[in-house]
Amino acid sequence: MAAVKRITKELAEFSNNPVPGVSAGLASEENVFKWNVILTGPPGSPYSGGVFTLNLTLPQEYPFKPPTLNFTTKIYHPNVSNDEKGSMCLGILRSDSWKPSCKIAQVLEMAAGLLKEPNVDDAVETSIADEYKNSPDSFEKTAREWTRKYAK
Amino acid sequence: MPPSRSSRNSLQSVDLRALDYLSSPSANLLCPICHSPLITPVQTRCLHTFCSACISLSLERSLTCPVDRKPLSHDDVTPAPIMIANLVNDLVVLCPNREKGCNTSCARWLVESHVREDCGYAMVKCAKEGCDGMVERRESEGECVHEEVECNFCQGVVRKLDFESHHNECPKLSSDCRHCSESFPNPELPAHQLNCPAEVIDCAASHFGCSYSSRRSELDEHLSHCHFVALTPILQLHTERIDTLELENKAIRQKLDLLVPPRPLPSQSSAATSSDPTDSSAARDMTSEMQDYTYHLYSEYEQLRSDVERLNAQIRELDVKQDMARINEGLRYNDEMTGVRAAINGLRMQLHWLVASRRDTVTGGGGAGAGGPRSVAGSSVSGDGRRMSDSARQVVKL
Repeated sequence: MAAVKRITKELAEFSNNPVPGVSAGLASEENVFKWNVILTGPPGSPYSGGVFTLNLTLPQEYPFKPPTLNFTTKIYHPNVSNDEKGSMCLGILRSDSWKPSCKIAQVLEMAAGLLKEPNVDDAVETSIADEYKNSPDSFEKTAREWTRKYAK
Repeated sequence: MPPSRSSRNSLQSVDLRALDYLSSPSANLLCPICHSPLITPVQTRCLHTFCSACISLSLERSLTCPVDRKPLSHDDVTPAPIMIANLVNDLVVLCPNREKGCNTSCARWLVESHVREDCGYAMVKCAKEGCDGMVERRESEGECVHEEVECNFCQGVVRKLDFESHHNECPKLSSDCRHCSESFPNPELPAHQLNCPAEVIDCAASHFGCSYSSRRSELDEHLSHCHFVALTPILQLHTERIDTLELENKAIRQKLDLLVPPRPLPSQSSAATSSDPTDSSAARDMTSEMQDYTYHLYSEYEQLRSDVERLNAQIRELDVKQDMARINEGLRYNDEMTGVRAAINGLRMQLHWLVASRRDTVTGGGGAGAGGPRSVAGSSVSGDGRRMSDSARQVVKL
């Protein structure tokens, strides 16, 4: 019950002060634990011009347990698993580093930041991370291609 | 005997977390866990403040501070300074019975006693002795509404509270149906009205365009040969498909608006003129060609934009570099200038010294007079001068 109250509060706060490049809302009115999120690819990154949809799932134990973020749009990114789940690996989303004082807005801000600059130390897709480190040109090319193919 | 004070107290409990605040409180007074103003604030060893209930919940799951994740045990949690508790308790809240009509707002620490003792909309025990019913406080002064009275018609026993609604259910009372004017006992009336054969209703396919309407009893005959009804399944299917397509279309349009800023295409007018019905295939070719062209234009535009962005970044970088170089140069010049200035000063000193020593040697004996200020005579002269000026000043004064 406390979770619902806090989530409704955060949703109201987010709609009043949205994070640039991110739009979010409830997937359905009656369930506050599922959010739909749309990220727009930041200009200057290989994801520029892409529109990525994500699912944000909040656990019943929120805020004591971290939310999870899943890309439903395919994306070529070191921090997003390249499977049908598309789970995003964000440092603060791991349960050992999650803090109840973190807000959903901060999570979304970090997700948007990862599109601007991938974090290779936290990568789930190690091969993409290696490519990003060693041959950034070919990484950018593939990422751009995927963006055009899946995120337009 | 007047009811004792305690029996008039409301048993309604107040959930402090569900209260609405008159104005949004300072972010410093919010609990980092529930994001509501602190309730029974406590403080941890690492000096963070939480609601007492929130931190216990958090410690049940993990023995770390929810803010900085330092290790924390139940013993490290102590009541927060009284000042913090006072600050949150003084926040003005709205009465929890606001939806029922209570307009009271008061400090949070008073709201419980307001509901318990004053709020006219809180539920209290009925004033009548022996009655276990509950009633809103503002109505509790009147007679007991839980008293049972006999219905004049059915001789049944009902509570006064329910007397009005009983009239709609009393089996001995009857009312006329709106449609067929027949009289039915009240409890049966709603069921009858749902199926009254005399009610004039629309054809089942009215939303697909059938304008027929008749009494319910005669409608069956129409339904058996109504074309709209026969087509209903397929029309239904189409409506559903249109709905899903519309939804999809809307989503796609939103996506498109995000990607392509809405602005008129320069070639749109030519497309409009060429799309006359006489050569529609040519027009279609033209449109697809144009789409390709537009797509090409957009990709080029995107590319140009990224080029411009890159160039901008480079220019900025160069600017910074140039600025740095200029500043360095300036510093160097400054240093040099101070060096030169020091050298000139040294030269000037030497010159002065040379001039002075030379004057000394040139004047020789008369040097005593020339070096005036140091000689006795010189001092006496200057002394006279001072006295003279003093007397002059006295004259002015007189």
